[in-house]
Amino acid sequence: MAGQSSAAEARTGDNLFLKAVAALSTLAGWLSAAMIVIAVGITCQMIFIRFVLNGSTVWQTEAVVYLMVGATLMGLPYVQRLRGHVNVDLIPLMMSRRLRRVMAIFTLCVSIAIIGVMLFYGYEYWHFAWERGWRSDTVWGPKLWIPYLAIPLGFGLLMLQLIADLVAVLLRIDTPFGLGEDA
Amino acid sequence: TELRLSHQWSNQDIRHQVAQIVADEVAAADVDLEIKIFGSQSLFKAREQYKPLSRGQLDMTVFPLSYAGGQQPAFNLTLMPGLVKNHDHAARLNESAFMEAIEAKMAEDDVMVLVHGYLAGGFAGKDKCITKPEDVQGLQTRAAGRAFEQMLAGAGASIASMGSGEIYNAMQTGVLNAANTSSSSFVSFRIYEQVACYTPAGDYALWFMYQPLLMNKSTFEGLTAEQQEALLAAAEKAEAFYLEEAKKEDAASREVFEKAGVEIAEMTQADFDAWRALAQETSYAAFVADTPGGQELLDKALAVE
Amino acid sequence: MDPLTLGALVAFATIIVLFSGVSVAIGLLIVSAGFLIVFDGMRSLELMPEIFFGKLDNFALLSIPMFIIMGASIASTRAGADLYEALERWLTRVPGGLVISNLGACALFSAMSGSSPATCAAIGKMGIPEMRKRGYPDEVAAGSIAAGGTLGILIPPSVTMIVYGIATETSIGRLFLAGVFPGLLLVGLFMLWSLYSTWRSGNTAVLTATVYTWKQKFEILPRVLPFIVIIIGVLYAMYGGVATPSETAAVGALLCLLIAMIIYKLWSPVKLWEVLRDSTKESVMILFIIAAAGVFSYMLSSLFITQAIAEWIGTLEVNRWVLMGAINLFLLVAGFFLPPVAVILMTAPVLLPIITTAGFDPIWFAVILTINMEIGLISPPVGLNLYVINGIAPDIKLKTILVGSLPYVACMVLAILILCVFPGIATWLPDAVMGPGF
Ligand code: NA
Ligand code: NA
Repeated sequence: MAGQSSAAEARTGDNLFLKAVAALSTLAGWLSAAMIVIAVGITCQMIFIRFVLNGSTVWQTEAVVYLMVGATLMGLPYVQRLRGHVNVDLIPLMMSRRLRRVMAIFTLCVSIAIIGVMLFYGYEYWHFAWERGWRSDTVWGPKLWIPYLAIPLGFGLLMLQLIADLVAVLLRIDTPFGLGEDA
Repeated sequence: TELRLSHQWSNQDIRHQVAQIVADEVAAADVDLEIKIFGSQSLFKAREQYKPLSRGQLDMTVFPLSYAGGQQPAFNLTLMPGLVKNHDHAARLNESAFMEAIEAKMAEDDVMVLVHGYLAGGFAGKDKCITKPEDVQGLQTRAAGRAFEQMLAGAGASIASMGSGEIYNAMQTGVLNAANTSSSSFVSFRIYEQVACYTPAGDYALWFMYQPLLMNKSTFEGLTAEQQEALLAAAEKAEAFYLEEAKKEDAASREVFEKAGVEIAEMTQADFDAWRALAQETSYAAFVADTPGGQELLDKALAVE
Repeated sequence: MDPLTLGALVAFATIIVLFSGVSVAIGLLIVSAGFLIVFDGMRSLELMPEIFFGKLDNFALLSIPMFIIMGASIASTRAGADLYEALERWLTRVPGGLVISNLGACALFSAMSGSSPATCAAIGKMGIPEMRKRGYPDEVAAGSIAAGGTLGILIPPSVTMIVYGIATETSIGRLFLAGVFPGLLLVGLFMLWSLYSTWRSGNTAVLTATVYTWKQKFEILPRVLPFIVIIIGVLYAMYGGVATPSETAAVGALLCLLIAMIIYKLWSPVKLWEVLRDSTKESVMILFIIAAAGVFSYMLSSLFITQAIAEWIGTLEVNRWVLMGAINLFLLVAGFFLPPVAVILMTAPVLLPIITTAGFDPIWFAVILTINMEIGLISPPVGLNLYVINGIAPDIKLKTILVGSLPYVACMVLAILILCVFPGIATWLPDAVMGPGF
């Protein structure tokens, strides 16, 4: 059947490249989790300042939003490694084992291509903000290239993890779509 | 040729009608030009229209220019407390050296103005009226725009930043005691159900926001002479309509609040002067400090009688 | 090509791509990019990262990971077991008390978690083995927890309600309240069915449960106290003027983490990391879909498909209830295959104008939509809850879980019908608490 392959994470075998990418993805995942925790802290601090001290809260909402965007983008490669991105493998399930492998290689290639597009234009967008010194239009007014940096970083690492997944399928270290051979 | 116009409002809003007039007039001119309107943020989010416009990915937008203040600090002057006195004064500003300077900044981003227009707004208090700076002392306040946040903070208010869509809920649960936004937002978000007192824009109003219809300059220059002419003629017609309707909007909001049983407060000349003095120390000073050539721009704006 | 034909083409392509095994979010990006390149030129393709970022640039989204952390931290302790045990000791005289207790615990746990799989796992881990030990049929044990778990997205807080609120600009506080009574209605229907099917299985032994002394009944009460504290704390923060619903989520997350650490001694960094890792995993998965669905809806809008469909439906002269029936059927089918968040985000921009022009209340509709999504959670092929149960109790066949869940699907359909006849069940509470409004 289908769903969130709760089973396991990407297999790396003894392959050095796969291990390195897995380590990078995990690092990004830690960063993502840390950003979520910091966002919890800042939000509680904001409520305290406003409700208890009746003070001004100028930067908190914006900081929390950027942390959440950052957590999402930086979390992408890690969740890909944990096979946490929900998918529907109805068509691969109807295929023979050999065809399924071809299908897995094909879908991975297309996925890498689209994330490559996001990476390319995401970098361009980040660079634009950096070059022109864009700030947000609030009193706090942080430089926008800082939160935008998560776009090329997150998509870059996700692309790397997808490439690693492709390599693992090609080298038969991992099974297509993480499906058991007898499924 | 097909042009895409994006804005954030519903199709009853006057800013949509301004766009619609331009679209209709251009279509009637029969110069092979069609304007497709994407309202209600169906294409881009409210604050994210200027970037695609400036990069030619979007052709036109009706846009509160101060939203782009992070990209061109000079634009912050188009939402500055007490800078505009009333709608006729706003119309004179549109024709001034000040606006020329602002348009020069837009040209740097490959953006031009088709239709000028200002809209006004006021204050609403959950428990009491807000007319002068002392009234906001210690209140949790939501302000529309950076310069207003600076001024209100200077008056001793606590600033809570949130979108205009969150005002209703925040007022209801008591997270917020006062809010400042446009006349039309006060009505469309039904804030009259939650407040005791409303200070609409009247003879004196602090809150004026420049919300022109903008176009990508290169796209405009790429049109044929007839098409450009048709667009400019349509824009002229729309601008006259915009000014008339902007005046009616404030009165209409006052009526809605009155009908809902909300007390209506008036700002006096003395109140206005007090706010403006405060703004000079806070928002104006911050603007000049943050903006290269800011003082010169401010003087140009203040020079308009 | 006219927008309606184009719309059909998009629908077809989306189905093929999403069934091909790529992750849902990447699939949405692929379809969007394909149609943008062909029908809108490269300039729209350039915009994709910008729109992606823009969709995430929303404070209300903060509440999604927060409400997930709430559920995950409590689920990692033995709190879920305490909860149903307490209920069982007090409901001991009720025939079939154990299954009733489990469903009640699911409902209570739902009030602390924004997601369904977490609810399912928290109660099922102890509840399913216990029910089977006492002789409840496997179908009832697995089915009741699978179904009870779906309440996680109907009883507030709810991740799908937050997503609906953002997509349609309706008040999240109001949406939360609208889910309360329909949630209770569903719990009631689930309980009735569970009792009936246990009784029908002929195993009368299970109907007379263990007898507990008053001492046993009272000594467990302190152990449910943390739940009461959390629920009251969150409700007070949300409706008592402390914070907006999105901010409240952070308070809830902090409260739950603290209670898990202090009361349930969740001190080990490894255990804490597990909670955080699982929450991050689920949140990032959902937020990725949200952002990608944003790009998808930009594509639909940019090609004028959304507008054309809404116009087309408007010109159809059909009875509004026929329309509602068709919408339900569509949501049901979409829910079979796609996760709730994806369905809501892909359909809300098209459906909402139709709903409001036909004179239906968008708050009421959110409840109908959510129940449809709950059905999807316990039906193949993408029934997340079925796989959670399968993970908890690997020796129960997936087919048995499925068969056990089917009657609960019928209960949900019945609940939708009841809500159509009595819309007040959903709309009364938000109107009473927050005043009649939007
Ligand atoms: Na819930
Ligand atoms: Na399903």
